[in-house]
Amino acid sequence: MIHNKVIYGNVTVIDLIVALIILVVSIGVAKALVLYTRRLLKEKVDKGQLEVFAKVLYYAIIVTAVLVVLPLLGVKPSGLLVAGGVVGLAIGFASQSIIGNLISGIFLIIERPIKMGQSVNIEGTVGIVEDIRIMSTTLRTFEGLYVRVPNQKVFTSNITNYVANVARRVDYTIGIPYTAEAEEAISLIKRLIEAEPFALKNPEPVVYVDNLGDNSVNIIVRFWSPVSEWFSIKTKMLWRMKKVLEEEGIEIPFPQRVLWFANELKGSVKVDPASWRDTSASGRERSY
Amino acid sequence: MFGTYDIPVEFQEDEISISLHRDQDLLIYHRDCLGDACDKRMFSKAEKILMIPIEPVTQPKAITPYLFIKLDKTLLLEPESTARIYVTFPLEIGVFASHGGNPQFIDGFTLTKKKFTLYGEPSMGRICRYWASGVHTTIPDIDGLREGIMEINIQNTDTDWVEVKKAVFNAYGMKIFYGQGMVSMKSTVKLRPGGMAETSFESSPIKEGATKSVEKYALKRISVATGKFVMEHGL
Repeated sequence: MIHNKVIYGNVTVIDLIVALIILVVSIGVAKALVLYTRRLLKEKVDKGQLEVFAKVLYYAIIVTAVLVVLPLLGVKPSGLLVAGGVVGLAIGFASQSIIGNLISGIFLIIERPIKMGQSVNIEGTVGIVEDIRIMSTTLRTFEGLYVRVPNQKVFTSNITNYVANVARRVDYTIGIPYTAEAEEAISLIKRLIEAEPFALKNPEPVVYVDNLGDNSVNIIVRFWSPVSEWFSIKTKMLWRMKKVLEEEGIEIPFPQRVLWFANELKGSVKVDPASWRDTSASGRERSY
Repeated sequence: MFGTYDIPVEFQEDEISISLHRDQDLLIYHRDCLGDACDKRMFSKAEKILMIPIEPVTQPKAITPYLFIKLDKTLLLEPESTARIYVTFPLEIGVFASHGGNPQFIDGFTLTKKKFTLYGEPSMGRICRYWASGVHTTIPDIDGLREGIMEINIQNTDTDWVEVKKAVFNAYGMKIFYGQGMVSMKSTVKLRPGGMAETSFESSPIKEGATKSVEKYALKRISVATGKFVMEHGL
C-alpha cells in the first residue's frame, strides 16, 4: 500500500500527510483564534496590548504544532536540543544583531515604554509610533516620513514619550518694559489663563517676575494642560498674552543699546520731523 | 426648557437660541449660545427633538468622563457616620433628534464656565471637568439653566475622622433627572480607610416625579466600565 511506503527512516507517507494536516489545521486554528480574540477584546483591551497578545497566541499555537509534528517526521526534540546547541551557537555568532533586535523587541513589548499611536522622540527621530514589531519599530514623522528603527536601537536609546502622562506643562518667558507695572502684567496673564478651559486649575498656574534682563523685566508663566490639548494651547496662549498686554499698553520690548561716544561727534544731523521716518529692526515704524 | 419639542422649533431663552426646521428631506439646525454657534444639516425623518440635560463633561470638548467638584468648605466626618449634603453641578444641555428608536445626539452646549483640572499626579492622575460648589444641608436655590443639584450621601466607613474637600464622579454612571423645577442627581461617596473613597450614582431623582434623562455615556458602550470611581489621590 502506498500510504505505508517508507520515505526515510521510519517515516511513512501517512506520517507525512498527518504532519502536513496538523500544521495546516494549526495555522488555520491559530488565525481563527487570533481573529476571534481581536473581535472579543477589541473594546475591552488597549489596542497595543491586544496586538501583542494576538501575536503571542499565534506563535504559541504554531510552535506547539511544530513540536507535535516533529516526532512524526522522525525528529526527536531531545536530539534537536543537542544539535540545536551547536547550530545555535554558530547562528548566534553570525546573527548577533538579529537576535539582539529580537530580544529587544520582546523586552520592548514587556516593558512598554512606548505604545502604538503615541508621539515619541527616539534618539532625535520625532514621530508617532505606527507599529512595534518583533524586530523593528516604525514611526511616522510629523513631516509624514516612514522611519524604521531596529528594536535594539530603540531599547538602548533615550526615549522621550510626549504623551505618556495625562498632563503636560506649558512654559513661557515674557518680557515687559521696565516702565510697565509687573503686577498689572501678571494679573492680566493670570486672568487669561483662568479663562482658558484647557489651562488646568490644578496644578495651580504660576506667574512671577523671574529676572531683570538686559532689555526687559522677564516674567515666567507656567501652567498645565491635558496632554491631548498641549500643542494647540501652547501655540494659542502666547499670542493671546501678547495681544492682551499690548491692548493694556504694555509693549513687549525689543533689544536696545545706548551708545556713549568718548569724543563729541563732528558734523551735525538735521531731522525734518514731517518727512523722516525710521523703521527699526523689529519692523515697527516710528515717526520723529 | 427641558422636554420634547415638535419640529419646526424656534426656541429663545436667556442667552440660548435654537432653530430647527425642515426643508424637504433636510433638517436645518442652528444654535447660538453665548456667541458660540453650531450649524448642522441632517437627513432625518425625525419629528421631535429633545432638549435635556446631559452628563456635564462634554464641553468644550469631551476629553474626559470625570467631573471634579471642589467643595467651598471642608467637611469633617466622625468615624463610622453618614451625612447628606447638597452640592451644585454644571448643567450641559443636549439636543437629540427623536424618530422611533434611540434618540440621536445632535448638539451640546452650556452656559457655565468651562474649566478642567487634574486629580492626582500628572503621571497617574485623571483629567477632570472642574466645578466649585457650596455645601448645603438642604436643597439650595439655583439658576436652573446653569446648575443642577446633586444629593451626596456620604458614608464614612473608616474608624477615624475624615476630611473631605472634593469629590470626583464618573460620567459613565451618572443618572440625571429633570423636572419638578430642577435637574438633579443622587450619588454616594463611601469613604474608605487610607484616604480613599468610592463614588457612585443612584438611579432615582431627589424629588419624585422627575423624568430620567438620556444617558449619553451609557455603560453598554464599554462593558468594562463600572460607572464607579475610586478616589485614590486624596479627598
